Amino acid sequence: MHRRREYSRSVPETESGLGPMDSVFTKCEKCGQPVYEKDLRARFNVCPHCEFHYPLSAPERVRLLLDAGSFEERDRGLVAADLLGFEGYAEKVEAARKKTGLDDAVLSGAGEIGGRRVAFAAMDFRFIGGSMGSVVGERVARAIEMAYADGLPLVIVSASGGARMFEGVYSLMQMAKTSVALSRYMEGSWPYVSVLTDPTFGGVTASFATAADVVIAEPGARIGFAGARVIEGTTKERLPEGFQTAEFQREHGMADRIVHRLALKGDLERLLGFVA
Amino acid sequence: MILEFERPVKELEARIADLHRLAGPSAELQGEISRLEDALESAKRRIYSNLSPYQRVQVARHPDRPNFRAYRDALADDFYELSGDRAHGEDPAVRGGFARLSRSGHNVMLIGHDKGADVKSRVKGNFGMAHPEGYRKVRRLYELAGRFGMPIVTLVDTPGAFAGRQAEERGQAWAISEDLMALARSPVPVICMVIGEGGSGGALAMCAGDYVGMLENSYLSVIAPEACASIIFRDPGRAAEAAAAMKITARDLKEQKIVDEVLPEPLGGAHNEPDAAIEAVGETLGLVLSELSDVDPQTLMKTRYERYRRIGAHAAAGQDPALS
Repeated sequence: MHRRREYSRSVPETESGLGPMDSVFTKCEKCGQPVYEKDLRARFNVCPHCEFHYPLSAPERVRLLLDAGSFEERDRGLVAADLLGFEGYAEKVEAARKKTGLDDAVLSGAGEIGGRRVAFAAMDFRFIGGSMGSVVGERVARAIEMAYADGLPLVIVSASGGARMFEGVYSLMQMAKTSVALSRYMEGSWPYVSVLTDPTFGGVTASFATAADVVIAEPGARIGFAGARVIEGTTKERLPEGFQTAEFQREHGMADRIVHRLALKGDLERLLGFVA
Repeated sequence: MILEFERPVKELEARIADLHRLAGPSAELQGEISRLEDALESAKRRIYSNLSPYQRVQVARHPDRPNFRAYRDALADDFYELSGDRAHGEDPAVRGGFARLSRSGHNVMLIGHDKGADVKSRVKGNFGMAHPEGYRKVRRLYELAGRFGMPIVTLVDTPGAFAGRQAEERGQAWAISEDLMALARSPVPVICMVIGEGGSGGALAMCAGDYVGMLENSYLSVIAPEACASIIFRDPGRAAEAAAAMKITARDLKEQKIVDEVLPEPLGGAHNEPDAAIEAVGETLGLVLSELSDVDPQTLMKTRYERYRRIGAHAAAGQDPALS
């Protein structure tokens, strides 16, 4: 339910080598310094000058965190069914599929982190704001069930504006769906690690994204339940600087660690070394 | 408060009352009175049986609609209230405690959003919009009920979890997800009644159970229709369209197999005849409690798992993994 402008700067979707944007030279939207897209891509969308973390697509997230070549995607081909016939929804999904090459706002499957097999899911904010509809709920639930059935650690990277209101109550119920799956998984002794990235809000934070054994957040990521604009609109309150950032959440006891994107894989390897 | 579409009904009622006063004991105006009464009856039928989704939302929000307090007072002959989340504070936006239902004699953990009865209590209860400490108290009570093998009964009536600075500072999202996780593993029957507003995650934290009933004019929605309209249509004035598009009425949700039952309300809505609405809820509660009381915890949890696991609007490419 949280909306924001999508950064124009997103990584080209080629497997390797040069992308069409590589020679492009722009200014960092945060610090104003000039950056080559190619440099930004090499640093997984982290500004080389100010370390600002831009959103990262789900395929890039896989490339960042999983051992090269280890990812096996599961449940591909699962697509949103517009059961409510919500005006404009089918077109929106179609456009998002074209833009991202993804079926929906999540990539899920199995892979390895530092040689350890994990169940893995990463959300993609470019796909209708990373909103959670039935496909996201279903694929996350299946990833959890796979982790449960195979006795694997579970790593989920969230990036979401919240529930996908085009799917009405079906989208709300994905919170319950992922929670029942997670609740059963967590009776076991495998670890669930949730990584919160910019932005993570609404139904995703109010369900699987926060119910983890260890919550890691990327620096500066905005994380919360209601978006800042909604809060300002309802309470007419001026919100403090840094409200709902990863640092704010850690300070308030809601996240365990803030980890720089380029250190994230190593951090997960260390953590899994203790608990997996 | 008179809702716009109720105006013709209220006007007829006022005219009938006037005539009664004028007529006094004489029978002179009887003909006119009964003619108006017929008109009133058919106006009610016409208006109330064709309410649009957004009109139902307005009925669900009606200040005179019976709320948690009315149900508690009418249905429980003892309510032993419990307070506090043991970490931050006590949130009167949501109340709970042990209750003995007078009709069926069941002992239950009764929990509900409390919208309050007058201006003072409405403000105190933040109009039924709970803070994280409210949701954490709820989790505490869920767990307590589980320990004592006592069924959980929730009465859902909230515009949503509160959106405010302090709610965020204290982890609103974390508190709601903990409730959902606690409900999923609860070993006792979880029986939920949406009696008014079912706003988003703040409602879901109290209505993901083994039985979900909805009063005819209640609603359950992922987002308030006004907010949906302003985000999707960029015009909060199109709330009625948003309410229709999101399919949020009790009947819609029954059709989507998300809720079990639609409980009919008295003509004109629960606020016109609160006792009848409360009675209907009480009766259903008794029946459902009797049905679920003897189900063993394993079966309850497995059935609940399957119930929520299957809800979705997606085209399946593979098969659901086998449930263990």
